[in-house]
Amino acid sequence: MPRRWRMRAPESIHDVNMTPLIDVSLVLVVILMVATPMAFQSSIGVQRAAQAGKAAIAAVKAERVEITIVSADSVYVNRTAVPRASMSLLLKPLIQLSPSKTVIVRCADQVPHGTFVEILDEAKQCGAANIAVVGG
Amino acid sequence: MRSFIPRQMMITKVNVTPIIDVALVLVIILLVTAPLLSVADLPVNLPQAQTRESEDERNLSITLSSRGELALDDHIVSRNDLLSALRARLERKDNENVLVVVRADMDASYGVVRELLEVAREAGARRIAIATRQKTGVVQ
Repeated sequence: MPRRWRMRAPESIHDVNMTPLIDVSLVLVVILMVATPMAFQSSIGVQRAAQAGKAAIAAVKAERVEITIVSADSVYVNRTAVPRASMSLLLKPLIQLSPSKTVIVRCADQVPHGTFVEILDEAKQCGAANIAVVGG
Repeated sequence: MRSFIPRQMMITKVNVTPIIDVALVLVIILLVTAPLLSVADLPVNLPQAQTRESEDERNLSITLSSRGELALDDHIVSRNDLLSALRARLERKDNENVLVVVRADMDASYGVVRELLEVAREAGARRIAIATRQKTGVVQ
């Protein structure tokens, strides 16, 4: 008489399979690492000085805030030479007094773009609502 | 005693569920990040700034690399072709009021950047911005 094998019930899986979760998480980490430098790009809006002047035609000339960048170290605020380090001390009250809060920036061609952006950033931090670039 | 598993009960197929999982996640992530990646693959060291404006907006980008190369979005263009290429983009129906972002290397001279701003104005850009890299630290 042939021996009859009893069929065993398959062993049930008790553990949660973590492999897909770890797969997806690692892919996410890699993609975020690659995309982060691009996602952190922001920008500073600029207007053309002529347009800003037309918009603020009624504004008194004395209340306009003008920054002239002659070189990386030499900056003029309303035709007054100021050291770069203390520029914001002079700029802040001037912007607060200005009704339009528009800052007009003129920059020499040989100045590095990085310096130009640093000064725009400083003006924005001092409360400038609009930045108008002469010749831009 | 040897255990016996009948042939019908053995798992003979490859489990493709994790592959499909990963593939679908990749597709979704690429769909979301595609607008962010539509810039030219040129070496650009953007200047750092603390102020943030209009960072997630759809835009047209003009890239000026550290080697002086120019690109409009992800297409490399010459200085002479930039105006016509940008004008053609801005004349499209959905690009009338689009933001034009100038991505210039921080070591480029301002004179070149000014020329790019002038080209953007001439091409009909209504809104222009200068791209920056977010400075880490406390935002005032």
